[in-house]
Amino acid sequence: MIPIENYLVLSATLFSIGLMIVVIKRNAIAVLLGLELMLNAANINLVAFNLAHPERLDGQMFAVFVIIVAACEAAVGLAIILQAYRVFHTAVPDSISTLKES
Amino acid sequence: MTLIAFIGILMAGGLLAWIIARWNETLSRWIALTVVLIDLMWSVAILVSRRPDFSGTDWLIRFDYPWIGRFGIGISVAADGLSLVLLILTFFLGAVSVVVSWREIRDRVGFFHFNLLWVLAGIAGVFVVIDLFLFYFFWEVMLIPMYFLIGTWGHENRRYAAVKFFIFTQASGLMMLLSILGLYFIHGINTGTYTFDYFELLTATVGTTAGRWLMLGFLAAFIVKLPVVPFHSWLPDAHSQAPTAGSVILAGLLLKTGAYGILRFVLPLFPDASRELASIAMTLGVAGILYGALLAYGQTDFKRLVAYTSVSHMGFVMLGIFSFNELAFQGVVMQLVAHGLSTGALFVIAGALYERIHTRDLSLMGGFWTGTPFIGFITLVFVMASLGLPGLANFIAEFLILNGAWQASHALTVAGAMGLILAMAYSLRIMRKIFFGPASDMASRMSDLTLREKVVLVPMTLLVIFLGLFPQHVFNASEKTVKDILGVVMRSQADAIQNANENP
Amino acid sequence: MSRADIIFLLPHLMLTLGAVLVMMAIAVRRNHFAVYVLTCLTLIVALYFLPKTASLPHNVGVLFVVDGLGVFNTMIIMLAALAVALMSYAYFDTREERTGEYYMLFILATFGACIMVISGHFVSFFLGLEILSVSLYGMIAYLRKRERSDEAGIKYLILAAFSSAFLLFGMALIYAATGDMTFEGLSGYFSAFDELPILVMTGVGLVVVGAGFKLSVVPFHMWTPDVYEGAPAPVAAFISTISKGATMVLLVRFFLAIDGFRFPVVLTIFTVISIASMVVGNILALRQQNVKRILAYSSIAHFGYLLVAFIAADELGVEAVNFYLVAYFATMLGAFGVVTVLSHPERDAELLDDYRGLLWSRPALATVFVVTLLSLAGIPLTAGFVAKFYLLASGISTNQWLLVILLVVNSIVGLFYYIRIVAVMFDSAEEREARPAGYVGNFATLLILVVLLVWFGVSPQGLIDVIRNLVGVG
Repeated sequence: MIPIENYLVLSATLFSIGLMIVVIKRNAIAVLLGLELMLNAANINLVAFNLAHPERLDGQMFAVFVIIVAACEAAVGLAIILQAYRVFHTAVPDSISTLKES
Repeated sequence: MTLIAFIGILMAGGLLAWIIARWNETLSRWIALTVVLIDLMWSVAILVSRRPDFSGTDWLIRFDYPWIGRFGIGISVAADGLSLVLLILTFFLGAVSVVVSWREIRDRVGFFHFNLLWVLAGIAGVFVVIDLFLFYFFWEVMLIPMYFLIGTWGHENRRYAAVKFFIFTQASGLMMLLSILGLYFIHGINTGTYTFDYFELLTATVGTTAGRWLMLGFLAAFIVKLPVVPFHSWLPDAHSQAPTAGSVILAGLLLKTGAYGILRFVLPLFPDASRELASIAMTLGVAGILYGALLAYGQTDFKRLVAYTSVSHMGFVMLGIFSFNELAFQGVVMQLVAHGLSTGALFVIAGALYERIHTRDLSLMGGFWTGTPFIGFITLVFVMASLGLPGLANFIAEFLILNGAWQASHALTVAGAMGLILAMAYSLRIMRKIFFGPASDMASRMSDLTLREKVVLVPMTLLVIFLGLFPQHVFNASEKTVKDILGVVMRSQADAIQNANENP
Repeated sequence: MSRADIIFLLPHLMLTLGAVLVMMAIAVRRNHFAVYVLTCLTLIVALYFLPKTASLPHNVGVLFVVDGLGVFNTMIIMLAALAVALMSYAYFDTREERTGEYYMLFILATFGACIMVISGHFVSFFLGLEILSVSLYGMIAYLRKRERSDEAGIKYLILAAFSSAFLLFGMALIYAATGDMTFEGLSGYFSAFDELPILVMTGVGLVVVGAGFKLSVVPFHMWTPDVYEGAPAPVAAFISTISKGATMVLLVRFFLAIDGFRFPVVLTIFTVISIASMVVGNILALRQQNVKRILAYSSIAHFGYLLVAFIAADELGVEAVNFYLVAYFATMLGAFGVVTVLSHPERDAELLDDYRGLLWSRPALATVFVVTLLSLAGIPLTAGFVAKFYLLASGISTNQWLLVILLVVNSIVGLFYYIRIVAVMFDSAEEREARPAGYVGNFATLLILVVLLVWFGVSPQGLIDVIRNLVGVG
């Protein structure tokens, strides 16, 4: 059996990669991808550590909910990005700046 | 209940005046005047009717009603002789303010009277409450309307002056709030009774260090309001930019709340810390006397000049309070009343001059005596009062303060007395610049006092003379209070000496 | 799920039902007024079904804890939502956008917030937060033809999703270490420790980061001014009150359960956040010319203040948090209400110049604004004062003098910019173009809010009693 710590390392790595993507990538679509990666890193933890409590299913249940939530976020997020693209003709949030310190 | 009624009438009157002004501005003025006069006559009636009892009973009037039970906050008001004297002064100057604004304030009349009456309500509240939370509450209530008074109806630089006034007083007020809360919790943790009641908190035992900090918090609010140099910088701006009524109330009443606060709260609550601070406080007082007088001499703006004389006169109050003896305390009480009257009157005169010649610049004035001797005469009386001419109220006050201070510190008293000489200089300068010397172009625009102005100034003149000749009336009223406060300080001193003897 | 459980969740069920009804109503026929009335009715019915005090507390499964804290805050969230709904009608009625879906998102967002305040489990915590956030994305970007609205939407989307990811990962770590997700279970787990294991510590830290974004406390505040400025005024009101308030209540519940302030690290983190929020919020607000941005920074500072009571975390502290939230809700709703009423169809009234001379051109509205600003500044006779007093009291009673003194210093700094707005309104009036006609709902809401502000400022005992009865620990 794989030691439980390995799951932690894997999820932490995935989370960090997702974080890096969000921070480094400028395109909003890529940022959304990074966010999904972060959420799913958490899911790995939730599912993996449910093993320690096989009589309860709370971790796995949560993971299912998270998948749903991630889908919702992606759907609404893409809609907004699309809308912004129509208005600004770009999907790079950094290059949109109508709001600033006055 | 009477005391609540005093404040309630003012607040209700303010609202009514605001609403009525939509239809009839003159009626609004009359309502304001009536309301203040009712309070004035009522309070005078109490003073007259209770006169024999001043030394006997504890508090003349007392009223308690729970307000915010969660924190032990009550609507507790009480008046002793000192409160009553200051209340009467408040209502008197309040009536003066309404009358002097009759012609000066022409726009937003309703809102003006609303603010005016609410300032008065706040001040009256400060003088009578004996719940520390409520005290802070009223302390703030008088700020906002005052801010509006200065900011809306003031002179050319009003916005700056109003904001400065507000920030200074609000900031220092918050320090006081912290101290009040600190005291509340220290007492609560010690005794299990969480209350803001003044009498209960008087019994609080506070550690030495904590006492010092708490006292500084209280003192911050009061010495900014008084003001004591170097916390005075809001005062010349606020006084000179405010409309006449605002200046009268600022100089005549708001400054007094600072002195009242020190007398009523700082000394009795923190006698030890107060004694430790006495020499510094007296020095600051003397510094204020001299600094205010010197700067007053240099001013060309009439109202600014009078403002600086206030700084000087309030220096006497500070000197007197921290000399800790009965003579000086009585002098302080007298000074509060006398300064309220004389400076108030000088601001009324400044307003009257401004109305005629549209300037406050002394260098543009001159030679007004021949054309308008009546204004000249009245001004002379108050200028003399301000420089401390015997026979007028201020003389008694300053004489007693210096007399009392002499027992505490010779050097500071001598320095303080120098202030009187400077007062002579700036006071005479006022007369020379405005009424004597070569007639300026403005002289032709001058006209003598109207009936309305006489109605205001003549009673003030008579009062200043009356109090100068018969000061005993004020002393009788405040004697009990003064002795009580002094008693607390003396007891603390005795304890300290005893402790020192026991643990050498 | 038993019958009793359903009864206790009826308010929340009503909200979901309302959302569905609104959706169907839109499908049948687009009528702004009908949808608006339906929304208000939903909220009123939900309020009506709030559980009675005597029956509390009640646990619904492991997910929800319907207790006094939850019910009280559900109530104020719903009332606040009602106020926002009343304002929204006028706002969206004068704009040409399609209006129906807004109300659906609106009800769902309110639902999410209501779930948060009664959640006692990580799953309900996260789901409530996400329902709120995802609905807010849509609401912020609702004015599709305004560039600024879109930009605000995209910014909020990225940062909120980012923070949710942190939150979730934090939860996962805590779960990894403890194997439990209920607050109750965690409470038992945490009480066994004097010092937190590193894994749990990281988890708690990540949860704080996630919640910090929602609370918009420094250093997680970057999105706030932009989103407030870009979002439609009623939505900004919603974010600044309901979204923040619900998160705050949830944090209170979570940290009370795990007794988090026993651990010095946690205490230090929150102290630093509190100080940073007060200072940064106030300092940045000083330079602003835009009223919505000023309110944004002001709200950052206010949550810095609020954390003082949160850190106290005793009976008085919890009371203070609740009282402060009520006062803050009423104040912020009033302020944004005024912004809403003054807004043109093309542009929200957000520049200071839009308020020049307001006291003379529209005295009633200006009075409302003055009262709310004074309440924000914490001046007596307004609820804001009693609230600030409560904070100071809870801070001093737990001897956090540093925080308390900084709170006072910052209140003074705050005065500068609140008074600046008041001063602008005092300027002499200039000619201004005609305003759109007023809506009864707006004025009624503002009137009620002002009355409440003054009422709680003058006679707070009633509200204090209610809070103590419902929320009181002892």
